[in-house]
Amino acid sequence: MKRPVVLLVSLLLFLPLVLITYRIIFLGYPPFPTAPQRAWQISMDARIEAEENKEIMVKVGLPYSRAGQVVIEERITSGRLDFHLLSEGPNHIGLWSGTVGPRAEIIGYRSTILLSSQRPIKTPLPKLGAFPAKMSKVEQDLAKRLVGKWIQLSPSERLRAIAATATNIWGEPPPADQDLRAWSALQEKFGRTNAFLLLFRTAELPAQVAEGLWLTEGVTSIPITWIEIWTGKEWECMLPSVGKIYKGSTNLLPLIFGEVDAVRVSEGKLSEIRWTLNRQILSQWRYHSERIRRSGRLLDLWSLFRLPPEFQETFRILLLVPIGALMIGVLRNIIGFPTFGTFMPVLMALAFRNTGLLYGLGIFAGFVLIGYTARRSMERLRLLLIPRLSVILTLVIFCFTVLALIGSRFGRWELMAVGLLPFVILTMTIERFFVITEEAGAREGFRTAMGSALVASMTYGILHVETLQLTFFVYPELLFAVAAAQVLLGRYTGYRLSEVFRFRRFRSSS
Amino acid sequence: MILKAPYWLRQAEVLGMNRRNAEYIMRYNPRSAFPFVDDKVLTKHLAAQHQIPTPSLYHLIENHGDIVGLKERLGDQHEFVVKPARGAGGSGIILITDIKPEGFIKQNGEIISQADFSYHIFDVLSGIYSLEGLEDRALFEALVHPDPVFSDVSYEGVPDIRIVVYRGVPVMGMVRLPTKASDGKANLHRGAIGAGIEISTGRTLTAVHRSEVITHHPDTGNPVSGIQVPSWSTILLMAARAYEMTKLGYIGVDIVIDKEHGPLLLEINARPGLAIQLANRMGLRKRLEEIDKAPTEVFAMPEDRIEWAGQKFA
Repeated sequence: MKRPVVLLVSLLLFLPLVLITYRIIFLGYPPFPTAPQRAWQISMDARIEAEENKEIMVKVGLPYSRAGQVVIEERITSGRLDFHLLSEGPNHIGLWSGTVGPRAEIIGYRSTILLSSQRPIKTPLPKLGAFPAKMSKVEQDLAKRLVGKWIQLSPSERLRAIAATATNIWGEPPPADQDLRAWSALQEKFGRTNAFLLLFRTAELPAQVAEGLWLTEGVTSIPITWIEIWTGKEWECMLPSVGKIYKGSTNLLPLIFGEVDAVRVSEGKLSEIRWTLNRQILSQWRYHSERIRRSGRLLDLWSLFRLPPEFQETFRILLLVPIGALMIGVLRNIIGFPTFGTFMPVLMALAFRNTGLLYGLGIFAGFVLIGYTARRSMERLRLLLIPRLSVILTLVIFCFTVLALIGSRFGRWELMAVGLLPFVILTMTIERFFVITEEAGAREGFRTAMGSALVASMTYGILHVETLQLTFFVYPELLFAVAAAQVLLGRYTGYRLSEVFRFRRFRSSS
Repeated sequence: MILKAPYWLRQAEVLGMNRRNAEYIMRYNPRSAFPFVDDKVLTKHLAAQHQIPTPSLYHLIENHGDIVGLKERLGDQHEFVVKPARGAGGSGIILITDIKPEGFIKQNGEIISQADFSYHIFDVLSGIYSLEGLEDRALFEALVHPDPVFSDVSYEGVPDIRIVVYRGVPVMGMVRLPTKASDGKANLHRGAIGAGIEISTGRTLTAVHRSEVITHHPDTGNPVSGIQVPSWSTILLMAARAYEMTKLGYIGVDIVIDKEHGPLLLEINARPGLAIQLANRMGLRKRLEEIDKAPTEVFAMPEDRIEWAGQKFA
């Protein structure tokens, strides 16, 4: 192999390698953009009733992107109410306000939540808060007697010991009977959640109340409450009712933190509210497309995800066309396939995207046959080249029209899409087919037509591999690698497979 | 590199299409020289400058208007060949043997009416036979009366001799003999026969017909091998001098032998096909590589190259 070729190929391979490595390691791109990822589709629907012309306000805690979860594709329904997104402390609150019409208003919220086990976003170390309000010295002393013996344990063990008390396991030595009775009374008076908050505060564990939903498929109208406890490295969740502990973000979806309800209504009435959760499998690129659109990094700013969606679709296909061209090179230079023109099969494959492969090939074959018959009979008319090609073109367009009308009559979308076939290519193919058939015989013409159809089908197949589409879309620098392969192919001076057949006579004579 | 070619194919040192393109055509045929061989009129002029004989040019039609009064301008030339100047593969060529009131008489006896003939010229001018579909010219040149040496092994038409010339050295030769199937055309993929010619002696070897080895002409039944090509050394010299004429390093030189005028250069092909290997039952690569190893003085004069080739390619 020649040195400049080796150099060029190495460069063409090196460039995407560096870029992709950089993207994966430093920008957190997915190595396999189509690898599936767990996601949840959440939707909240509520119905608000109120007296006419009365200003109402509904505040609902909404999920937001935090450690372990990313919220994308948020959509709001607000009817005739105004919608605002507020930040209240750690919470994101959706605020619907305004006057309700004669009939009730329906409000809604929808989003996709991606759960990732990626490195957690750095959160500020939580500080130990104040004792729960309204709890006097008496209650604090009681709590100290109940959990004081565990203060030496590690935060995680402390949490587990306290959680166990929910099922009446108090360890050794057990608390005095009157303390246990006082504890029951305290739970009655302040509520179980607040009672546990007191215990965690006494045990010097930072804790907060959260309200949210179980991450299971289904519909619910009442959010559940739990306590999140900081055990030094992460928040762990405990259900006060049963004392069960959950780690990570895969079980519970918080809507709101602190001593506020997830749903608050003033001057109106929520006649109905429900949350629906559905499990989804999403490709990683969807999450990344969202992330890239918000990122300020240079390569993210210049990502194809920044294009408006309608153009993105085009580029997903366009980026694969060079692979199609490479494949034609392989089929022609290594296998020795005959095709009409160099890139005609690629253009056909692109057009087949609208009609589908089977219809596309069928229409194509039909047109070439009709065109050929017309071209043959026109031979006697002695038309000059350009007018003659124009006649074929007109015939092609006419056939398009007839086919589209038939398609519309019988509701076949594939036939109506015929107008997107490249008519110039079809016209030239008819002429080429005629010339080849005249000069080299029907067999050669047929062979070339079959070769073209096969190459077009294979290219069509490649253009439809979604994994390839997305990989090239996320990493367009892969085009350089394709170019490297094309350069290598360009230096292939070995035999073609067809030549093994063509020169088979040498087999016996050597 | 990617596919391991079968042992016998490499053993026979057959030249493949990819190698021909990359190692010979792209390396030795500068694009700037292509127009001189792609246009037969330019080839004719160039050949005249280099004292290489070609069939004489009677008339040239460049514009659609020129066709008016064609008959008058042809004068008493009632016998000629019409060719598209930039045609390829022999398409668009008509052989006319006589002009009669009812029309033009083709070599096979068919009559073409004046209108049909004009239509054909229009076609040529609008470029349907030309390599890139560009506007073309129609040239009228002398009809070749082939030397009778091949008349026993050809069906109508004019047999022609193809010699592959690499860096001025004749590498391999064959004679293309028309058959009934090829409609009198000396074109291998239309069904003409290709018979290899020994470079040193100018005698025909075995022949190939549609990739089958044959010993006898399918129409006349006469043996095709062992025929001595007349004026062989002149033919070789013409072929060798085509290198100086075109500056193209890898060419196929097509020569016809006229009964009266002897060998005439018909055209030069800058992308000669590979079928000549089948006709000679021999691969081109070994000879091409031998030429690359030859001492520089061999390449000095056409005569030196022929002598060297005669010794090497026995």
